[in-house]
Amino acid sequence: MNLDLEFLFRVLIFPGFTFIVLFTLFCDWVERKIEARMQNRMGPTYTGPAGILQPFADFIKLLTKEDIVPLTVRDFIFRFAPILSFSIFAFSFAFLPIDGANTIFNSNFEGDLVLVLTLVSIANFFLFLSGWSSTNPYSATGAARVLTQFLGYDIPLFILALAPAFLARSLSISTIAASQSIPFALVVPWVFVLFIITLQAELEKDPFDIPHAETEIVGGYETEYTGRRLAFLKLSKDVQIVLGAAITVELFLGGPYGPIFYSPSFVWYTLWFVLKLLFVVVLTEYLTCVFARLRIDQVLVVNWRLLLPLSLLSLAATVGVGFLFYPLG
Amino acid sequence: MSKNTDKILEALNGALGDRILQTRTLRPEKVCVQVKIGAHRDALKLLLKQDENAGISAITGVDLGKTIELMYHVRMRNTIITIGVDLPKENAKIESITDLIPGANFHEREVSDLFGVTFEGHPNPKRLILPEDWPENVFPLRKDFVAPDFQSKTENSEALKDNEQVFGDERLVNIVLGPQHPALIEPEKFTLKVEGEIVKEVKPRIGYVHRGIEKAAENRTYLQDIYLVERICGICNACHANCFCQTVEAIMGVDVPPRARYLRTIILELNRIHSHMLLLGHAGFEIGYETLFHYMWRDRERVLDIIEELTGNRIIASFITIGGVRRDLKEDVVPRIKVELEALRERMNFYRQVFENDSTLKMRTKNVGVLSRQDALKLCVVGPVARGSGVDMDVRRDEPYAAYGEIPFEVVTYDDGDSWARLMVRLDEIVESINIIHYALEHLPSGPYRVRVPRIVPAGEAIGRVEAPRGELFYYVKSNGTAYPERVKVRTPTFANILAFVKIAEGGNIADVPASFVSLDPCFSCTDR
Repeated sequence: MNLDLEFLFRVLIFPGFTFIVLFTLFCDWVERKIEARMQNRMGPTYTGPAGILQPFADFIKLLTKEDIVPLTVRDFIFRFAPILSFSIFAFSFAFLPIDGANTIFNSNFEGDLVLVLTLVSIANFFLFLSGWSSTNPYSATGAARVLTQFLGYDIPLFILALAPAFLARSLSISTIAASQSIPFALVVPWVFVLFIITLQAELEKDPFDIPHAETEIVGGYETEYTGRRLAFLKLSKDVQIVLGAAITVELFLGGPYGPIFYSPSFVWYTLWFVLKLLFVVVLTEYLTCVFARLRIDQVLVVNWRLLLPLSLLSLAATVGVGFLFYPLG
Repeated sequence: MSKNTDKILEALNGALGDRILQTRTLRPEKVCVQVKIGAHRDALKLLLKQDENAGISAITGVDLGKTIELMYHVRMRNTIITIGVDLPKENAKIESITDLIPGANFHEREVSDLFGVTFEGHPNPKRLILPEDWPENVFPLRKDFVAPDFQSKTENSEALKDNEQVFGDERLVNIVLGPQHPALIEPEKFTLKVEGEIVKEVKPRIGYVHRGIEKAAENRTYLQDIYLVERICGICNACHANCFCQTVEAIMGVDVPPRARYLRTIILELNRIHSHMLLLGHAGFEIGYETLFHYMWRDRERVLDIIEELTGNRIIASFITIGGVRRDLKEDVVPRIKVELEALRERMNFYRQVFENDSTLKMRTKNVGVLSRQDALKLCVVGPVARGSGVDMDVRRDEPYAAYGEIPFEVVTYDDGDSWARLMVRLDEIVESINIIHYALEHLPSGPYRVRVPRIVPAGEAIGRVEAPRGELFYYVKSNGTAYPERVKVRTPTFANILAFVKIAEGGNIADVPASFVSLDPCFSCTDR
């Protein structure tokens, strides 16, 4: 019985669902605040100290709004795509060690890196479906752009994620995170840089926020959504950003592991994890601020002519480094 | 009258002979050549041959009671030559000139909407300003116009049915840009026929914010009209006020005191700076560069502060009046303005680096929406759009008004003709404007800042031109000797530039539409009036 309570606590409260949602909203606030400061603005100030409750207020506001389902939409997919994509993103967190262990103890296995990346792809595909089922020209264009972009960037992302796996000689995220006495970002910085760029495209942020180009296609795939469904669509976008940053932390920045000054260790692990994750969020936000949005054809050129060959090359270089620093044995 | 004008008149006399009915003066120093119906095309051909930069500035219609007078204002070097034609009011028909100069397309449609003149041979004689369900044979700018009963508006409702949704070709998809769209802040409609991501055809439809200001101006006194025309465009309000005032002053023969002319120059240039900064920031927003947008708009606040110091208002200045300006510049404000302007110049250097070096920004604007010099001349575009395509024209230099004749400045031109060049023209013009304001502040003459003028304006007619931030702004005012004008014609710069959008969007990528569109700096409340 005792064990069951702990299990429930871990899944529902910490480091499970509640922690993830709250942390996502917090990261949303950090993003908005940092972006605002970089753009010479105030950002949220009104709700809570320094506006920290603003994302929460926005979420609640959307939940209370009228829920409209247009007559022409593909009803089932339209209704469930936001929820499904959100839950898949949230579920993926179960395989990331946040406080030093996975959400469910011992749920890590050899190959969960592949599982998580696949889940991310599937959840992304649901975002595409949400737009596609809207039967609105703007949504359809936005959805097509999601798919175009995601087809292009998933491949380099997979290839680049293999580099840390190779260095750690494991496909398990916990093992990769645990084996970084020096963060892989320092061992193979070129992979890290490429990974961040690819991540930027995966997360649909500038210069790759083409599915969101509101001056061209209004709301993109979100155009027809209102109320609760829009709230979940937005939340699932935010969780995706945090998840992307979390994967980066696990693969390149040593996961939750760092110096421990006194017990209990999970407090320190969580702290390190959060700090590292915020670092990645700030980094992506910085990139968002300094670039203009590219065009979809330019993105494809960047992807197929530049990123794909570079990621293959960097993988080869990583293999070389791997044999140099971490000889087989 | 200048030597240039005399030469043109001589040539016209030689070519048309007795088809010229009479020649009269439009103040200040402009000529109107009245010709017989049908001779206007020959006259126009001749004028276009005289000067390669010539283009049509506007077509004005005036209701003279029994006849409707059409005036083709042709823009020549340093002046405007007007060709007048009298049409009978019943059965008003005239040959179209759109085949000679495509830029006349919208002008003719506007006159046809508001005066009921039929232009024979016009390629697309549809409604432009008035709504589709406006009753037939009701023309708002005619003097005998009676407002139709809008309550029982069933007469013409068939016309409302939108046939643009009909798909002629299976592969073409219609994407409707507007009247509500995030890329357009004001409402106009552009129907894009798209094949894949390539735009095949653009159909513009304006008139969504037509407020009948030209008609309203006839029912107000000249003094009231200043405040009315300022509201044609909030952004370049001082240009409208100045253009209207200088036109009325030309009819009255009032000499504006030198100090007022310099103060007008200062407010006009401040207007230009803040309008250009607004556009540059907006361009950043359109291409997804929000940081640029926020930076630019924050720096724009400095200009608004200066305008507030000078006029007491931040946007709608209400500063210029007939006979001068309404407030004097206080001496202790001058150093503050100079400091702010210097800070602005620093920022402009920074932005210049951004525009020249930022790769994503250049990827989105270089070689996007190219408008060649020939096309720019044919479509009669004005202002930064023309100068970005290498057409060297600027009313401030060609036909100085206010104090521009006494202030040295450069006209910025770029030859590339793409969106980037049009944005760079504006960026460099801001620096020029800062120089002009500096010069004007240093050489500000002393003396009165306004002269009192009578409320009754003597009978007469005049043309005024001002280089607004978006290009040449054209006013024609006719007075009948009362306190109310007989006719006020406004041709705003965007009205002349909309046709260029059709040209540059066709054949381009759909993602480039916002970027190339914003580089024209469209202002639809101006366009529709």
